[in-house]
Amino acid sequence: MNKAQGSVWLLLWFGRGMLGYPLECRAAADAGRRCASIPLDKLLERVVQHAELIYRLSEESCTLFEEMFIPLTMRAQQIRGGNTCSTRTFAIPGSKSEVQQISDKWLLHTVLILIQSWIEPLFSLQATLDRYDNAPEVLLNKTKWMSSKLVSLEQGVTVLIRKMLGEGTVTTESHQSWTVAAWESADMMESITRDYALLSCFKKDAHKVETFLKLLRCRKTGSLSCLPI
Amino acid sequence: MWKHPGALLILSLLAFVVLCCSCLSPPGKPRLTSCRSPEKETFTCWWEPGSDGGLPTNFSLFYRKENSDTVFECPDYHTAGKNSCFFSKNDTSIWVNYNITVVATNALGSNFSDPVDVDVVYIVQPHTPENLTVVLEGEENPFLVVRWEPPRMADTRSGWITLIYQLRVKLEEEEEWEEHFAGQQKQFNIFSLHSGEVYMVQVRCKPDHGFWSEWSTTAYVKVPDYISKDRSIWILITVFSGFFFLVFIWTMHINRNSVKHFLLPPVPGPKIKGFDTQLLKSGKSEEIFSALVIQGFPPPSYYDDLLVEYLEVYDNKEQVLMLDRKGLQDSRFKSKSSSDSDSGRGSCDSHTLLMEKCGEPKENQTMISQVKAGETIREPMMKNDSSTPESANMKTKTWPTLCSSCHHEQNLCYHSIPEMPIQCDVPSNHFSSTHPQDYWEQPAGIYHKKTPSGYRHTQAYSEFNIRGINIKEATFPPSKSMEYVEVQHVNQENTLILKPIRQEVPDLFHTECAGLDYSKVNRVVSDSVLLLQQDMSDQCFSDYQDREIPVQSGTQHQSGKPPDHLQVSGAPETSLNLNGYVDTAAMLY
Repeated sequence: MNKAQGSVWLLLWFGRGMLGYPLECRAAADAGRRCASIPLDKLLERVVQHAELIYRLSEESCTLFEEMFIPLTMRAQQIRGGNTCSTRTFAIPGSKSEVQQISDKWLLHTVLILIQSWIEPLFSLQATLDRYDNAPEVLLNKTKWMSSKLVSLEQGVTVLIRKMLGEGTVTTESHQSWTVAAWESADMMESITRDYALLSCFKKDAHKVETFLKLLRCRKTGSLSCLPI
Repeated sequence: MWKHPGALLILSLLAFVVLCCSCLSPPGKPRLTSCRSPEKETFTCWWEPGSDGGLPTNFSLFYRKENSDTVFECPDYHTAGKNSCFFSKNDTSIWVNYNITVVATNALGSNFSDPVDVDVVYIVQPHTPENLTVVLEGEENPFLVVRWEPPRMADTRSGWITLIYQLRVKLEEEEEWEEHFAGQQKQFNIFSLHSGEVYMVQVRCKPDHGFWSEWSTTAYVKVPDYISKDRSIWILITVFSGFFFLVFIWTMHINRNSVKHFLLPPVPGPKIKGFDTQLLKSGKSEEIFSALVIQGFPPPSYYDDLLVEYLEVYDNKEQVLMLDRKGLQDSRFKSKSSSDSDSGRGSCDSHTLLMEKCGEPKENQTMISQVKAGETIREPMMKNDSSTPESANMKTKTWPTLCSSCHHEQNLCYHSIPEMPIQCDVPSNHFSSTHPQDYWEQPAGIYHKKTPSGYRHTQAYSEFNIRGINIKEATFPPSKSMEYVEVQHVNQENTLILKPIRQEVPDLFHTECAGLDYSKVNRVVSDSVLLLQQDMSDQCFSDYQDREIPVQSGTQHQSGKPPDHLQVSGAPETSLNLNGYVDTAAMLY
């Protein structure tokens, strides 16, 4: 089921690319023709806006979920659990100095990986939330919107990579820890706990993505927000 | 006395406290109050201690990072002040949960606080913005330009942290602040200033996800006095509108009458033709009503046909015929308008012609006096001059009661009121009104109709001006027609031989004493002569004798009569009534 969903997603992604996503000219197809593409700063601007939106949505969703499903006593414990969020194959920089030492390439790649790893878990989260009896409509809408925006962001970053780095598409496998086949067997409490953890971790990762992209933006372009005055 | 127990109590309390103070105990539980990061690179945590426990207490902070079980202690206890722990850049990792615990330790024991999980990203609260400057710009419409800088430590340049700003303004004497959102810009303009006032400005900032900073220090600015464009325009508008308003008022004042008529239209007055309100005010109703009378109504054309010719016959011997008439009249005719002679004068007889003829000897003359209708009958009051006014007065007095409805008729008859009281001295000697049998009483109905005609005489005295209005002359004909008598000749004895002109009402006779139109028959002489008497008394004659013969034919030829008197003697018949009227009908049958 999940594999099928994953393949569907990939197909969709390719399809979107095929449909002439206006971010970039496909060099192969339009070798002879000149096509206009979006300049870099605009592209970065859009990407940053996307990331900001996603983060805001994730924050709101987390808050909603917490109010709805998590009793007060549990909230602190949940966080105390510690390593609820994902383990990665590579270490993500934890401080500004570290981050500033990272190259553009690395930043972009990290962003892309992060984005791609969260597409499927969010999709499954939607299914889980639908199963709940009293999930508020707002929460469902927000998660749906989040998913869609994430997909868009991924496309944008891909284009950005291609533009900035001149590389092809990179695909990574999805976040395994979240795609647990045992969703159905979990009881209510477990399910809720897991969903809450999912949302919290997603929120954190969304913030990372946003921060990296903002750094990249200020590095590459003279955006107003980067100016001291 | 009770001081003793009080003192004891106090002493015991003191002892207890001392003992308690000497009770040493482990410290109370500390509590982490807050952790804050000003720039997302470092952060600080503060705690508050619990109860002391009587012994000096040490506090230490331990933390553990996410995904690691290594416990670290706070690197810096002093930088941030008392009961704080400062994490430097090297010790700070973002996107990592810190599990922090504070431990209070004294000689007796230690106490752990509740752990707190912290992610630096979410606890960012920057410092206040710096270098807040407020400048007044613009000459005519000045406005404030507010500028500031981000807090020094926040690295917005690299995009590490993005700040959004908010500023607030108020007048110095106001209480409420007016807040403005400035976004990520570091400059802001404030318009619509009050001239001559002092403004206060403050600014603060917040990271896109984090906490608001404190408000910066206040900047003051004074706005100089100026007249805003808006105000000058308003002044201009006011002046112009005032001017137009004055012009409007002046125009209204000039035309106030027409305005008044427009707003409050006058009540329409009565519009009756011929009606004059001024006359009404003067109070003379006669004039008013006379004005209402229509001159030409009814059209007089066909009244000419109805003009009746009258002959008035007088007996000069007698007193005023009028007086006779008076006597003749019965109670029904309250108006003593006996000015009528007996010669079949219907209604409006007496006219001026009569008066002319009053003094003439009527010998061998046809005494057909044509009386024009509408002329007043001026009875030959003659001798009764004195009585005339009386009669007149009486008439006038009695008249209104009698015939209020007869206005029109009366108006018809009497033209010349002032001409009335002319006395004629009728030589009664000359006139011997031998009334042929034509002199008949009129039928009752006609007679009645005639009654108003009698009134007409009196109406001569009314105040109404007769203007030849022949209103009810229609009523004339039936009543009046019959009184015509034609004098055929005068015989040797100065007796008039009368011959009726018309014979319209031949056979109906009234036995009543109508008075006006009748003459009394004194006696019949030689079978064919009626002696008419002019009776002074109020009663009619009752001495009617039969005279069979000539009455029937209607023409009587009198022959041989005694002077003066025509007396009818004879056995009264049934038709004869006490009044003395000649009932020719009786004679006939």
